[in-house]
Amino acid sequence: MAEPFIIADLRGVAEVISSLHVRVADLTMSLVSDNADLILGVDGAAKAFVVNDSSPDVEMRVRWGDLSAERDGEKLFDSGRVWQLFSENGAYLFKFTSKLHPWFPYKTARFNHDFTRGEVALHRPYFAGEQFVYPLAYPLDELLIMNLLARGRGAELHSCGVVDEDGRGYLFIGQSGAGKTTTARLWEKERGVKILSDDRIIVRRFDGKFWMYGTPWHGEAELANASRAPLTHIFFLQQAQHNELLRKSRAESVARLFACGFPPFHDPPGLEFTARFFDDLTRAVPCDELRFVNDEKVVEFVRQQTE
Amino acid sequence: MLKANGETEQEALKKEKRRYMKPELKRVQLRPEEAVLGGCKISSNAGPTGTCVTCSTSGS
Repeated sequence: MAEPFIIADLRGVAEVISSLHVRVADLTMSLVSDNADLILGVDGAAKAFVVNDSSPDVEMRVRWGDLSAERDGEKLFDSGRVWQLFSENGAYLFKFTSKLHPWFPYKTARFNHDFTRGEVALHRPYFAGEQFVYPLAYPLDELLIMNLLARGRGAELHSCGVVDEDGRGYLFIGQSGAGKTTTARLWEKERGVKILSDDRIIVRRFDGKFWMYGTPWHGEAELANASRAPLTHIFFLQQAQHNELLRKSRAESVARLFACGFPPFHDPPGLEFTARFFDDLTRAVPCDELRFVNDEKVVEFVRQQTE
Repeated sequence: MLKANGETEQEALKKEKRRYMKPELKRVQLRPEEAVLGGCKISSNAGPTGTCVTCSTSGS
């Protein structure tokens, strides 16, 4: 693995490096630049997830490339606008296109069958003028983690994760507009409370216990914390005229978790694992619909209901 | 009156008469674009030069 180095001509603005390790939900992704002039860096919420790690779960090389003549393999999935996934000799190939540059990819990412090794290629002209590049920039980081999780490791949910002052972890689940950021802002004011994320939480299981992890993929409140907490209660958000808690059946809870999950839709075994994981989760953690009014009273309401 | 297994007759009767519940179909809304990471992500500099890959605005 290449040693980090510092480029002197950046006048000390930032330490720029040729290798980078990012850990999300205890999964470490390691990046090494193959080109001396391809400087790796991180900005925004992902900075909190950078680690010094010598035992990555995924090892990736990063290089400049000419992607104007990139060939397609067998198409496995098309997200519609942002990314496509192809099968290529038993490996996976992601292609990322921009509305600004729709003709060919600005980035590709190849991975082996179990996503433990990969290569990211960047179309150099697109990145002209950049001081550094974060090769895992959304949505590649999230797609990679999504695929790793679906291989028996856990699941990601469209949700807000709150850790109360006594360490209890509450997961507030809902699609866009359900009230995740609103919930995060209401709880953020409370003393001793930590918000792991206002938009994306990863759930994993260790020794029979479910944990929720913060992620870099925050929402409007821009809350992203790299720590974890035991998951003690799940709430499906529903804005209403008064605060009320409705216990949901396990079947409905699994369906609602799945509808707010991010499973790899191209991968039947991954989908099956995710469904089973959510089934196990509903056996271990109480799931309620939280009908709530957007004011601070809901915080006390939740605390009273979960004591 | 208690039966041999400790149940009252009333409890035993209740068990026998457990009403058939017709399976109920509930629809759960799925938003495909959100589920497949096909949309924007607030403040993520996806794409070159910090532009959003879907709506082409800076840092959306």
